Amino acid sequence: MWAIIKKEVKSYFLSPIGYVFIGLFLLMASLFFYSEILVTGSTMFSNMFYSLSTMLIMIIPLLTMRMFSEERKDGTEQLLLTAPRSVTSIVLGKFFAGSIFFIIAVALTFIYYVILMFLGNPNIKTSLVTVLGFILLGAALISFGMFASSLTENQVIAAIISIAFYIITWIGAPYLSQSLEPLGLMNMFNRFANGQIACTEVVAFLSYTVLFILLTIIVIQRRKSVK
Amino acid sequence: MITVNNVTKKYGKFKAVDNISFEINDGEIIGLLGPNGAGKSTTMNILTGFIEPTEGNVIINGYDISKKPKKAKKSIGYMPEGVPLYKDMTVKEFVTYMAELRGIKKDNIKESVEQAMQDTWLQNVKNVLIRNLSKGYKQRVSMAGALVGNPEILIMDEPTVGLDPKQIIEIRNLIKKLGKDHTLIISSHILSEISQICEKVIIINKGQIVAIDSPEHLEDTVNVENAINIIVEDKENKMQNLKINGAKKVELIKENDDNTKEYRIIPEKDYDIRKTIFSDLSKENITIFELKKPEITLEEAFMDLIKKNEKEKEEKAKKAEEEKKQKEEQKKQEKIEKKEQKQEMKKEKKEQKEKKKNKDKKEKGGNE
Repeated sequence: MWAIIKKEVKSYFLSPIGYVFIGLFLLMASLFFYSEILVTGSTMFSNMFYSLSTMLIMIIPLLTMRMFSEERKDGTEQLLLTAPRSVTSIVLGKFFAGSIFFIIAVALTFIYYVILMFLGNPNIKTSLVTVLGFILLGAALISFGMFASSLTENQVIAAIISIAFYIITWIGAPYLSQSLEPLGLMNMFNRFANGQIACTEVVAFLSYTVLFILLTIIVIQRRKSVK
Repeated sequence: MITVNNVTKKYGKFKAVDNISFEINDGEIIGLLGPNGAGKSTTMNILTGFIEPTEGNVIINGYDISKKPKKAKKSIGYMPEGVPLYKDMTVKEFVTYMAELRGIKKDNIKESVEQAMQDTWLQNVKNVLIRNLSKGYKQRVSMAGALVGNPEILIMDEPTVGLDPKQIIEIRNLIKKLGKDHTLIISSHILSEISQICEKVIIINKGQIVAIDSPEHLEDTVNVENAINIIVEDKENKMQNLKINGAKKVELIKENDDNTKEYRIIPEKDYDIRKTIFSDLSKENITIFELKKPEITLEEAFMDLIKKNEKEKEEKAKKAEEEKKQKEEQKKQEKIEKKEQKQEMKKEKKEQKEKKKNKDKKEKGGNE
């Protein structure tokens, strides 16, 4: 698994897509830092992430869309799947690589925290809880994005499937019925932004993540016998 | 040691591989031959565990590849068709990644990567991005990826396809070198290549094994007639009326520009007619320029076998159809017979009833 993580993280840094992701992420972060914190004169570091979370919908697919589709299109999945590695370790390797890259991007936003420290007294505990929630949210989104990418060899289609799913769970589900509202990933993040670590939300994020990792493993395994 | 037991791969109703079984011993060099779409790549993909067979199993060094994939795959190096590579990596990065994927110990990785690159003459391009390499080099990179860490079994799907003649010779030499201490399975539709490299050939057509044999043996099995080709100078055209002892047929194949003619002589029995030809023709003052057994190449053997296989299949299909028809007719006849029997039975019953009635009437009449 370590070999796959290493290679994948490296390839994020070698391909333009990694830099596009970090660039867009930091651009949005700074915009929200300006509009939510500087303009309003607040020291709530979490405000920035609150707005940033909705933007993840558009940029997480940049990280995930090529995970399996590209391998399938180029035929390199033959190299992966004929290596003495289990499908589980391949899928987990890709997932962790995506998550690590995401965490690196999030870590860069601490620059804004430092800036904020000069201007006032931001609450470190609330900020850390927010970041934790943000990373859990990201992992759940990455997990689904990876699943979408295992479904098709077309990266664009993989991205569209992911975005559609994110929007459905964010706006669609609560719109359809009140009882579906807790399923929305974005809504779950709100409580973290208030500085609370809630068991339900942590479990929900983790189960979202695990569910789609498992589904990806099943899809890849299944394709071996169908193909 | 590779054992393939009754492997079938179905795509819907279509059978890409149909009940294949064979064994490959350690150190053998095997050629998988077959026309396009015969199931060569599918067979290789099943051997390497890339796809699962619908039925049957593949056992590699004692491990079933579907049940213990990790252990089975450890001893296989695979060079897939169309040489898929990570094009954003340099040659060295790629080979290193393949070594890591194969689970080679950290201390040995550097060494085995160097060794693999040396074996495939890649030292001078090791820091070049794969994207920028020519096709021949890419082929070699793919090969380096397959043989890094020295797996016992090497499986190569069309390793020389799309190369120029010089590169083909290079790759072929490399394969020969590898064949000395590996079990090798190579697929190709270039027959000369297979007959040069391989000790054993598996011919596949339409998903079925047509033959498993050595190339020489395959050539012999087709060449049963023991025919002899001769080129003679025959100014008085005596050959046409000449009777050679033991010859069944003498046929003119072609007349050459230099006034010589080529004949094919087919002997009556399965014996060597060369001596008789020599003595008989010299008596008639016919000069022999050349006398040889016509060489049947693997190519002809291959075509012949495949044709035979297809004919057999057609005949089988025909037979099956005829049998079906016969059965249907039998059924029809049986039905008709049954109907007739039923009708007869009915008649008999009626008659019996009538008789009974008559009897009853008579009895009644008698009583009265």
